[in-house]
Amino acid sequence: MIEFKNVTKYYNNHKALNNINLKIDQGEFISLVGMSGAGKSTLMKLIVGEEELDDGSILIDDIDMGKIKKNDLPYLRRKIGVVFQDIKLLPKRTAFENVAFAMEVSGHTKEQINKDVPKILELVGLAHKEQDFPHQMSGGEKQRVAIARSLAHKPVLLLADEPTGNLDEINAKEVIELLLKINKLGTTVLLATHAADIVNKIKKRVITIEGGQITLEQAKGKYKL
Amino acid sequence: MSKILITFFRIIKNGVINLKRNLWLAGASTLIMTITLVILSVLSLLFVITNYSVKSIQQRVDISAYFKDEISESQILVVRDELLKDTRITAIDYVSSEEAQREFRQRHQDDQLITDSLDELTENPFPATLQIKADNLEDFSAIDQLLKSDQFSDKIKEVNFEDNRVIIDRLNTLLTFIITFGIILITVFCLIAVLVMFNTLALTIYNRREEVEIMRLVGATNWYIRGPFIVEAFLYSIFAAAITGILLTPIYFSMLPKISQYLTPGESIFDGNLMTFGVVIIVQLLIAFTLSTISSLLAMRKYLRI
Repeated sequence: MIEFKNVTKYYNNHKALNNINLKIDQGEFISLVGMSGAGKSTLMKLIVGEEELDDGSILIDDIDMGKIKKNDLPYLRRKIGVVFQDIKLLPKRTAFENVAFAMEVSGHTKEQINKDVPKILELVGLAHKEQDFPHQMSGGEKQRVAIARSLAHKPVLLLADEPTGNLDEINAKEVIELLLKINKLGTTVLLATHAADIVNKIKKRVITIEGGQITLEQAKGKYKL
Repeated sequence: MSKILITFFRIIKNGVINLKRNLWLAGASTLIMTITLVILSVLSLLFVITNYSVKSIQQRVDISAYFKDEISESQILVVRDELLKDTRITAIDYVSSEEAQREFRQRHQDDQLITDSLDELTENPFPATLQIKADNLEDFSAIDQLLKSDQFSDKIKEVNFEDNRVIIDRLNTLLTFIITFGIILITVFCLIAVLVMFNTLALTIYNRREEVEIMRLVGATNWYIRGPFIVEAFLYSIFAAAITGILLTPIYFSMLPKISQYLTPGESIFDGNLMTFGVVIIVQLLIAFTLSTISSLLAMRKYLRI
């Protein structure tokens, strides 16, 4: 599904990623672990085309990210859901409207939006918070709305960049459980985190990244740094 | 409804929301655009009127060369042929002394005193004349000089041109002034309008940066993101053109016909035609659209990361 071949990325003269080789199959749940600045976010940004790679190639379902046209990027992004540590919800829109926003962008009809959004909110366990604004929700709930928004296009891949970074233990646990549930339904999940306890509980494939290089790969791994 | 149509309406809706969120700035942009359009329209209309007036007077203007009595018709015709070789001259009419008298009699047939006086005379007092026309007003004085030169002065008794020179000069000065002053003024105001709108849109982009970022991440196409800012700029243009249309109505239908009358009395060069007014409004709208497209493209290029 995704294949990194000798991928290198520079920020000015600094090597953010150095000769990365990685293969991710459909339906996998992968924890990408490493300290801050190790290169986890850069790797994710390369997948969604937010950054351009300097060397090597990235294939996503046979689409070569080095050759993709700028006009085609939005359509690729609709196949990939993204969740961030800082959540990025629109503060003046309700949970429903935040999820609907993603669907409006791709030209879905009002009827379709009214039908799908409640289902997605139900999936993330927020059916009762449909009309709440972000400031009326807890951190965990906000992050679940963000996950719901990323699911609006029924993505094949979900990128979660430190989604529990700003959450307490209980909320973090809920978010991870939700990601596992989404993975079970067939979506590939790539979770970037530096929270050792979370990774250890998931017991799925772990890729450790240090100084822009993959230093360890474990099929059912633990957090080791 | 098709996806394209849905997206199109959503882009317009977002453009209207952009405008509502920045009402004061929207007002400033509309105002400056209106001022630009009013200046542009008034100057253009003045230019058109003056230009038409000049042309109309030009058509009526000619130089009359009156020949001495002893010069025969064949000699006059030789002079005519010689003059026609000059490229500045477009037409020459020969009026014989008999014709001149006949025309004069016809014009004054109701005036008994004049007809009686003419009857008293034994000789025809009207000289044979060449009436010379040229396309360019500037050439008339040169032709005037030519006729007065040694080449023709032994045959020509008098050259009549001075009468119209004052009005022609006045119109020409006005025309040059409108063109130079107009171009400078219009350029300056177009630049100001583009700059003000550029700043307004830059602020709108800044205010919507979070939404733009999310739009990008959830797969909005470039035009879905850019569209609302262009719609916003176009809305300023439409408002400005509408306000200009209202402001221009009294100027167009009342003031300009008076100016036209003043410049060319007795002729209705500009009579406040409704159809022309419609064209003026459409042209204004096109100019406003062009200015807003320039400013929105500049603002997006500088501030909108897609």
